[in-house]
Amino acid sequence: MIALTERSGTGTVPRRRRPDWRRMPVAPLSLLAGAAVWEVVGLLAGVPFFPPLSTVLTRLSKMVSDGLILPSLGDSLVNLALGIAVSLGVGLVTGVAMGRYRRVEAALGVYVYALLTAPSLVFAPIFFSLLGAGRGSIVAVVVMYAMFVIIINTASAIQAVPAQLVEMARSYGASERQLLVSVMLPAAAPMIMAGVRLGVGRAVAGMINGEMFIAVVGLGHVVTEASGRFDGASVLAVLLIIIAVALSAVALVQLVDRKITGWVPSTSRGNP
Amino acid sequence: MIEIRGLGKSFVGQDGGTVEALHDVDLDVVENEFLTVLGPSGCGKTTLLKCIAGLIPWNEGDIVIDGTPVRGPGPDRSMVFQNFALLPWATVLDNVGFGLRLRGVGRAEREERARSLIDVVGLSGFETKRPHELSGGMQQRVGIARALAVQPSVLLMDEPFGAVDEQTRRLLQEELLSIWEQHRLTVVFITHSMEEAVLLGDRVVLMSARPGRIAEIVPVPLQRPRSNDVGALERSGAYVEITAYLWDRLREMHEEHRPSEVAG
Repeated sequence: MIALTERSGTGTVPRRRRPDWRRMPVAPLSLLAGAAVWEVVGLLAGVPFFPPLSTVLTRLSKMVSDGLILPSLGDSLVNLALGIAVSLGVGLVTGVAMGRYRRVEAALGVYVYALLTAPSLVFAPIFFSLLGAGRGSIVAVVVMYAMFVIIINTASAIQAVPAQLVEMARSYGASERQLLVSVMLPAAAPMIMAGVRLGVGRAVAGMINGEMFIAVVGLGHVVTEASGRFDGASVLAVLLIIIAVALSAVALVQLVDRKITGWVPSTSRGNP
Repeated sequence: MIEIRGLGKSFVGQDGGTVEALHDVDLDVVENEFLTVLGPSGCGKTTLLKCIAGLIPWNEGDIVIDGTPVRGPGPDRSMVFQNFALLPWATVLDNVGFGLRLRGVGRAEREERARSLIDVVGLSGFETKRPHELSGGMQQRVGIARALAVQPSVLLMDEPFGAVDEQTRRLLQEELLSIWEQHRLTVVFITHSMEEAVLLGDRVVLMSARPGRIAEIVPVPLQRPRSNDVGALERSGAYVEITAYLWDRLREMHEEHRPSEVAG
């Protein structure tokens, strides 16, 4: 994440006027190309599970007007929000404690790494049997997906705080609380936010998987039902919604990230 | 007044053996004295300074400041660091006020004092800049202003100009002299440059390595104030004589410890 990047197109050297490819809006063009490929491949393939984009969009608008999408979307978003809130609350506190105190790291490290690398979905049946087929189980699955990457990034971020800053603050008589709040958390913020970004992306995956596995509600439930009917267009229509949710969640995190870590010089940012 | 008696500090080295960083150091620093500490690398001069700052524990001896034994960092001391140690996310104003904030000084008073110190170090107009927008010399001015803002009676400086270029270093030396002449406080200044040690100090503590101990304390009989004509001072006989003497002593120490390197 410390990869150097230089912003292009900001040089002051006058250049001859010619079509500047670097000024083209890359993301919209890329989306347009992707949509065209989907449409063409879908038309040529002619299989029920990969209909062309136009069919999927038509189905999507019909599902929305039939009232299939919005209530499920609301359910899913609540699951997601609760899961992310728990992951952030517990994850940040645990991560800071592990990064700051060796004994906490020694005690919890093995669990955190084990659960980070374990396939999170295997816990779904356990939650299902313990918490029942309700919201609690889905939120628990979301937490299993999202929390551990946040913990690990936060712990590393705290450990990477320059020792000279800690020493400086101590020389001015900083208490442990002041050290954490005024020095370590701000210094660690960029790396912590990188972990939060990863965690939120994983939370969306957790929400869908949890709902598909457990639920009688939410978008995951709609997907499960549609695929049971071999209704490829509906599955892909919901997938589009899920992608939109994931991208919005990550965009929201990036917005917060900019607010918190606006001080990081642009030359040392990983993603301009 | 700082009284250091029989100070000894050792720690476990990378090979598991015990390294004696300081051995039986006795030193008095009188009120408002500018004391410079000079020595080869590894002589424990930074360790000595961190002990006085209360940042690291020691094994033997005592450090007493104005009658109070040092048990940790205290409001009577503040430190200037070689690599500046500024908060990269904070503005110049917030960096200078950081020590005050840790000590619970309210925002209005903090900013007022920070502004006046920013003026003292010649950074007016840069209050809202962040460290990465400043040159090394300007960053260390922020470091000095931050240390002075808490109104210490002892200023501890750990090779503060070691990381800036030669020209900036000379300007900062002159400014530090004139600040010290106006504010009058006790300064312990670590350096590896004999010119800097003589130019700034009332006395030069010469330390030798392995174990770190005081080899000699050399008085600097140059008149004050020195900030108004540093050039003339550097051409004076006394200045030339003392720096030459210090270099002779330092060269002896290097030859004792690394004969092959000097001979080769």
